[in-house]
Amino acid sequence: MQLEGKVALITGASRGLGRAVALAFAREGAALALCARGAEALAQVASEVAALGTQVLAVPTDVRLARDLDRLVALTLDRFRRVDILVNNASELGPTPLPYLADYPPAAFDDVLQVNIAAPFRLTQALIGGMLLRNRGVIINVTSDTAVTGYPGWGAYAVSKAALEGLTRTWAAELAKTGVRIYAIDPGDMDTAMHQAAVPDADRSELKRPEDVARAFVELVTSTEPAIAGRRLEAATLGQ
Amino acid sequence: MVSSPVTRLPALPAELRAHLPAELRGLRRDGVRLMVIDRAARTIRHSRFTELGTFLNAGDLLVLNRSRTIPAAIPAGRESGDAVQLRVCVRHADEWHVLCLQPVPPHANVALRTGERLQVDSVPTVVRGRRADLPLLWRIDALPNGLERILASGEPIRYSYVPEPVPLLYYQTVYATEPGSAETPSAGRSFSWELLLALRRSGIELADILLHTGLSSLQDDAVDAEHPLFEEWFVVGSDAVDAVNRARRVIAVGTTVVRALETAVGDDRRIHPIQGWTRLRLGARSPLRAVDALLTGFHEPQAGHFDLLRAFLDEPLLERAYREAIDARYLWHEFGDLCLIL
Repeated sequence: MQLEGKVALITGASRGLGRAVALAFAREGAALALCARGAEALAQVASEVAALGTQVLAVPTDVRLARDLDRLVALTLDRFRRVDILVNNASELGPTPLPYLADYPPAAFDDVLQVNIAAPFRLTQALIGGMLLRNRGVIINVTSDTAVTGYPGWGAYAVSKAALEGLTRTWAAELAKTGVRIYAIDPGDMDTAMHQAAVPDADRSELKRPEDVARAFVELVTSTEPAIAGRRLEAATLGQ
Repeated sequence: MVSSPVTRLPALPAELRAHLPAELRGLRRDGVRLMVIDRAARTIRHSRFTELGTFLNAGDLLVLNRSRTIPAAIPAGRESGDAVQLRVCVRHADEWHVLCLQPVPPHANVALRTGERLQVDSVPTVVRGRRADLPLLWRIDALPNGLERILASGEPIRYSYVPEPVPLLYYQTVYATEPGSAETPSAGRSFSWELLLALRRSGIELADILLHTGLSSLQDDAVDAEHPLFEEWFVVGSDAVDAVNRARRVIAVGTTVVRALETAVGDDRRIHPIQGWTRLRLGARSPLRAVDALLTGFHEPQAGHFDLLRAFLDEPLLERAYREAIDARYLWHEFGDLCLIL
């Protein structure tokens, strides 16, 4: 139980990687605040987590809405008093089949940026104060190889992940010499609903399982020799 | 009651009321002014808040109130169908103490009936009666999932000098953590993390306590002039106690921190970990055993705030500081400038 006594907040926790990280953290004894847009799926994950014997708070949240984020932060801090680990995992892919940027609906572009970059900024800002008071904390932003490679069709998603990596580097520089660390992790191609929507004809046998990738998150937050903050990390190479 | 000399003091000019936080006045969050009162030298100096570190030394301790502000003005409906605004002042486990006001400015007090049902965010509650010591505060059944109800339906408490709504986010300090304050612990609102981390790097320590503030006004001039006092929930943890007991000098960021730390003083004149409701009243003759200095905003002489300042400043120096703050055009209230009393 390497995370006994720790409190983690995970966004987009109702499915895919978010759910897998929630379960992995719960197995290590962390108390969890989970959010996602879909209340029903979120409640299902919360009950799976609770069955592992850990405390859990599920807050249905649309991370695009400031009032929802305020509520998520306030309810989490009211219940657990602090957050030690923040995982900014909630992501929106955008319209599928993936359109070229030349064809991308501008409103959908804005929406993806709201979820994938504005929300992580706001949520991190709201929670980092408590971390800096205690001079301790870990923030993990979930990125993608689309951030560093131009793939046709991944438009707003790729742009948002590149921005998220920029956010991570800048924030890491500002947090230098504090006990608060911030990372971007690229989980690699996983067998998730999002991947299915983006690449319907992918060979699922070649995709990683979210449960396996989640181990890299546990490794990162429990390592006694933590990786250098601000780095872009690949889940496949963590813990090796 | 301490007789007040406030009638001798000039009134606060209306243009010195800060209408908006610094960031919405085209400044940085920490871009406010700082007046520094040196009690030993009996001097008053004028500076910028970002220069705070030049008045402090390595080994000094800044104690912050980490309480997060909640949108404590909540709309409610009476049985008659009339709309009212409740301002949540004290939240006990099963009973809340609230001000009941007209929903629109100037927000005059509204008399409820004992036993009357109110609807808050579609949830019913029952009025238990007036509070014996402070009859303007109504005792109501605590709402189930009360914090959720407040977050879902409330807005920040706003006084007449803030004419337009300001989003809740702007009321929070950059280190706000557990939610529960009806009004912002505003002395710390101007801190940026850029400034706090620079202070920490220069050897100034940071510690934090929790005190959830109640209301600064009961919307009744005669009652407010009596400086009503109610209980406030506070927590002083062992980390803060250790830091205070080893610090060279303890600077309270805000009067809420003074109230919490002085309540935590034991018979041995040292502070100890404690949590509970504080009813401590501090005034001219109160000894200060935990706190050596105070960072505070400028609040009107009618506010109870002035009583607490008398624990730090004798009457001539307090009066001089008040006049000088007005002459030098400092901005007042929760979005205004700051004053450091050393």
